[in-house]
Order: sequence, then C-alpha cells, then structure tokens
Amino acid sequence: MAELNEIIHQSVRLRIMAALTTLDTDNEVDFTALRDLLEVTDGNLGAHLHKLEEAGYIAVTKTFVERKPRTFVSATSAGRRAFRAHVAALEEIIKK
Amino acid sequence: MNISPSEAEEALAAIQKMTRRTRHTISSSGAYIFLIYTGMIWLVGFLANQFLPGSQAVYVWAAVSLLGSALSISAGLRVSKHVQGPLTGMYGRRIGLFWVLLALFCIGVIAVAQPIDGKQFTLIIILFVLVGQAAMSLVFSFSYGWWTLPIGALALAGYFLMPAYFYLWMAVLVGGPMILLGLIIHWKW
Repeated sequence: MAELNEIIHQSVRLRIMAALTTLDTDNEVDFTALRDLLEVTDGNLGAHLHKLEEAGYIAVTKTFVERKPRTFVSATSAGRRAFRAHVAALEEIIKK
Repeated sequence: MNISPSEAEEALAAIQKMTRRTRHTISSSGAYIFLIYTGMIWLVGFLANQFLPGSQAVYVWAAVSLLGSALSISAGLRVSKHVQGPLTGMYGRRIGLFWVLLALFCIGVIAVAQPIDGKQFTLIIILFVLVGQAAMSLVFSFSYGWWTLPIGALALAGYFLMPAYFYLWMAVLVGGPMILLGLIIHWKW
C-alpha cells in the first residue's frame, strides 16, 4: 500500500512536483516560468524548492544564458518515483 | 499522515489542473502550435494550388511559408526560453544541419526521380518534411511527432485514390485535421 508523502503533500510543493513531472524526463524549466505558472512569489517558490531539493526530489541548476544568471529546475528520478507513489496513495484513499 | 477522501480528491484535482496548465504553457508538448501553423500553411497553400493559376499559387505559397516560418521560429524560441533539455543546446546546430542535409537529399531525389507533375513533386517534399519531423520526435520526445504517421498516410491516400482532387484533399483532409488536432491537443489534452 502506497503512503502519503508529507514533503510533497503541501499544496505549493504538490503543484511544483505536478508541473515538473509533466515535463519530459531530463527537461528543466526556468525559475521565472515556474513562478508564473504557480502564481507564487519568488521567495515562496524559493523556500519550497529548497525543501524539495533537500529531499532529493528536484535538481536546481544555476547557469548563465546570454551573460544573465538563470536558474533551472527539474524533477529527479527519486522525485518522480515519490510523486507517483503519493498520487497512488491519494487514489487509494478515494477508493476506500 | 492521514487525510480525508475529500482532501485527497482536492489534491488530485490540483495535480490534474497543474498538469494541464503546464502542458498548455511550457511543456515541449506545446508542439500543438506547430501543428496549427503547418496546418494553416498547407490549407491556404493547397487551396491556392487547386483553385488559382500556377503562377499565382507560387506567390501564395511564398507568402504563407514566410509567415509560417516566422511564427514557428517565434514559438520555438518562446518554448526553448523557458524549458531546456540536455539535448537542446548540445544538438541545436546538428539539428539545423540535419534539416539542411534533408533538404539537399530531397533535391537529389527530385533530380533523379524527375517528377512528372506538380503533385508528385509536392508529395515528395511533404514526405521528406514528415521524415524530418519523425526524426525530431525520436530525438526529443515521442509525443512530439507521432502525428506524422496518420498525416503521411492521408497524404499518400489522397495521391493514389483522388489524384484529380489531390490539392483539395491535402488542404481539407490533411491541413484541416492538423489544425483540428492542434486545437484538440491544446484544449483537451
């Protein structure tokens, strides 16, 4: 039986993982696009990304594009697995 | 951690909403826009082939192709600005070179095969374009290029089954479905 994941279940982090796992494997999205997609502030998004990164669910890459600093975010394999398990646990609760 | 079924339902609804929103806005699956642009170009261009004299149809093709290329480049840049994969930067030049080589091979095939009319000439070019799109799908994502198979089959069916109305077929039954498919992917997928 799949178990709920406390780190992922928080509403903003849940939506972050939903967005990142929708992208093709190994694709990464830039911070500003993710912020606009989720409609959250820079600080709020940064804090939740940090939490997910600590858990090993996402990877954060800082790079320069046309001499400007850019931050890209992607879901790791562990993150994709944890998210799938969390979704399965949610579905099990509904079926009960 | 325990939650109620209604909370679980809410969470799943939020996931579904986010997934759909991501696909619409930033995912590489946003290929729907290229389908719509290509469908529009083919619809207008082939209608011109069917109903206008050859010399005028050429100008229509030139105009819609230029407009379509500009729109596609702009859409491509918009998507790649926000989403990048390990292959995006590394293979950008190789992909450009691939399309140049494909165009050269297409010219070679046309030179050797000597198409007997405009329909054969058109179909050869379209098949090469579809091969290119299918190759791109293998490089980036299977979801990007699966449409090339049914569209290629429709184009071949029109050429062999309805030669007298080939251009009209291409406009309505190939260009039209591409636009429709793009819109379906955009709104429903």
